[in-house]
Amino acid sequence: MSLNKVINREWKRMKVRPIYFLASVGTMFFCYVFFLTFFAEGLPQQLPIGVIDKDNTSTSRTLIQTIDNSPQINIIRTYPNFSEARNDMQKGDIYAIVELSSDFEADLLANRQPKITFYVNDAYLVAGSLSYKELTFINELAAGFIQQQMLHAKGIVGEENLMPILQPVAIDTHLIANYGANYGVYLLNVLVFGVLQLCVLMLTIFCIGVEIKEQTVGSWLAIADESVFTAVVGKLLPYTVLFSVIGIIGNILLFRFMHFPMNGSLIRMSGATVLYVMAYQAIGFFMISLFPRIRDTVSFAAFYGLLAFTYAGFTFPIEGMPRSARIFSELFPIRHYFKIYVNEALNGTSFRYSVHYIAAMAAFLILPVLVSKRFQNVIFRTDKSFK
Amino acid sequence: MQKTNYNFWKSFRESCKRVWKAMKEELQMILNDWGFIIVFFGATLFYPLLYPMIYRNETIRNMPVAIVDESQTFLSRDLTRRIDASPDLEVVASFPNLEEAAKAFRRQNVHGVIYIEKDYEKKINRNEQAFVSIYCDMSSFLYYRAMMLGANFAILDAGNDIKLQRLNQLGVTGKTAEIVASPFEHEANILYNKPMGFASFLLPAILILIIHQTLFFGLTIVNGSACEEGRLYNDIFAHLNGLTYEKLLGKVLFYFLFYITVVCYILLIIPKIFNLPHIGKSIDVILFMIPFLLAAIFFSLTIASFIKNRETGLVVFLFSTIVLLFLSGFSWPMSNISRFWRTFGMLFPTTYGIQGYIKINSMSADLSQVKFEYIALWIQVIVYSLTAVVFRRFNYERYAKTNKSASNVIVEM
Repeated sequence: MSLNKVINREWKRMKVRPIYFLASVGTMFFCYVFFLTFFAEGLPQQLPIGVIDKDNTSTSRTLIQTIDNSPQINIIRTYPNFSEARNDMQKGDIYAIVELSSDFEADLLANRQPKITFYVNDAYLVAGSLSYKELTFINELAAGFIQQQMLHAKGIVGEENLMPILQPVAIDTHLIANYGANYGVYLLNVLVFGVLQLCVLMLTIFCIGVEIKEQTVGSWLAIADESVFTAVVGKLLPYTVLFSVIGIIGNILLFRFMHFPMNGSLIRMSGATVLYVMAYQAIGFFMISLFPRIRDTVSFAAFYGLLAFTYAGFTFPIEGMPRSARIFSELFPIRHYFKIYVNEALNGTSFRYSVHYIAAMAAFLILPVLVSKRFQNVIFRTDKSFK
Repeated sequence: MQKTNYNFWKSFRESCKRVWKAMKEELQMILNDWGFIIVFFGATLFYPLLYPMIYRNETIRNMPVAIVDESQTFLSRDLTRRIDASPDLEVVASFPNLEEAAKAFRRQNVHGVIYIEKDYEKKINRNEQAFVSIYCDMSSFLYYRAMMLGANFAILDAGNDIKLQRLNQLGVTGKTAEIVASPFEHEANILYNKPMGFASFLLPAILILIIHQTLFFGLTIVNGSACEEGRLYNDIFAHLNGLTYEKLLGKVLFYFLFYITVVCYILLIIPKIFNLPHIGKSIDVILFMIPFLLAAIFFSLTIASFIKNRETGLVVFLFSTIVLLFLSGFSWPMSNISRFWRTFGMLFPTTYGIQGYIKINSMSADLSQVKFEYIALWIQVIVYSLTAVVFRRFNYERYAKTNKSASNVIVEM
């Protein structure tokens, strides 16, 4: 069968030039190792911060000790004044500064509301936000401790009497699926599959474009019995299988090996992964048909492929972007894939909520049909000029 | 003695002329090829405009949330109003029970649900502790942050009023009550990113990455096309005539001077146009960029010597853009990157370039405060200039050997 022959020919080509496996298996293997180990800590712990203790009494030291006991932050230095502390902050050594006013203890005992000041470096948004959150929390704890002392003095004892005063409205926080606010859970699913779409796009364009560039279209078509359809399917099928397997391995690594939340079905998610790979193959084919010169197409595809990380809307939500960006995002399969991931893995939503995202990804498979005429012209023209 | 001196100056002048000629050749080559114009002019011009526009809102405001108010009392409605008033959240729907709210959540119409229990007001009136549950959409860090900031502050705020009332009932009034409610004054200062914004945090890193990656991919394409289009033979010819260094110097100088203008546009003008952080001294930014650009050029030339085809660089290394971004420690903090990946990151100019630029530009550090990055970049300049030279010479000699006939043709010409 001619399809088998085309597949065999492609397989042989893949084995001869290292670029094929380097830009698929090699890249993805590296990225799995990189991303899975890079965020292994989950939530950054022991963030380095600094302290300015202008009081230096047992109260201020106890408070500092309480801050240091938090697993999330770590006091690495005590500074005599703000300018020295700021110097280290500008060097990037510490992400936050806590300053206790002079006479902290005396003011506290005399009911004069001493001052505690935080300086948080939000140029590093993640480290800054996390240390800010932790410092606010400790501040509440410390205030609660002192309030308790004051209420004790007024004769109010026992938790059932104290809590309604200390915290009249208690907050019960539920973080859906990602209980520990694990940073990897936010990022990895899109980062890893974002790199996957780069590979799929680039190799789809490369494996077709290189035939046009090196004028081997003749032998390619001959082996497919001059059927462009067989030639294209036979050429792309090995990559569909290769990238689907790589993607499914990724799912297994994330949801089984790393135990990332999966409240739906791993099989449905993997089905979506296969469709995702095919959607990007369709886009790659579309691009090389429109711009058959591989050198221009790879630049264009690189531009489109990198924008996927923005338009997936996983770090900065799409609603926060200008309206045009919201429309643009629909043109990226990764956007729909991300929504399916949120439904399946995080929210454990019934499948019918994901159907229209699946349909949106499937819609990309129409693209090759739209350019089939043009592609045939390109192919036969190259073939003729070669003959 | 005088004569040798004269000869030295003469040959120096001629060298300079050849370097100048190599620079002009490089410029001509770029201007004659649309592919290069797109990378070196198009991408450097367009990308820095696109990203700040996409992220110009800095953060999400009025994130849609749903309320399940089983209490339906004056106090519960007061709490709902407080939540709605927060700049982070907007109450867009109200449901009779959690199941209905969950449906809206699953359709991703709301990114959070706030549940007020049935006995909310009753408990408050009976001096008991009341409960409010919040459910956060965890699909994005910013959803989580908006919910935590918005809901927590609104609920704490409502709680504080109740706290004061209860203290009043206990006979603690006036200033004393206030002091018991908050025993110390607490002031939080957000430095170097006033809006706590996403653009102010991400874009400085992205801008450096744009400079590096256009240079890197541009130079791999330059080398790949030189191999494909026979321009390599000119280089080999020059090499056989002992002009390797002059050619290379011309090339490096050209890209250096070209990218200094690119740096002025991307790092000095763009942040002002889009109101991104720019509290550093311009002169410090430029001084810091000198070793960064040189390191990036020599690093790119080193890798490019392995690239024999025009498109290979992009196909194989496109993913590096994402990896380099995270290795720089702009997001996941540098202090928490494992020793292995931190060491690995030392190989790349972007790691120091991004860190140094953030510190100078966003945190107004001066050069002495980025001494570490500055020295590291100069070390990279030394190492990568050596490797660039070694690989180039090796390539030329190998080509000259394997393609003797071809190089002979050129020598004869």
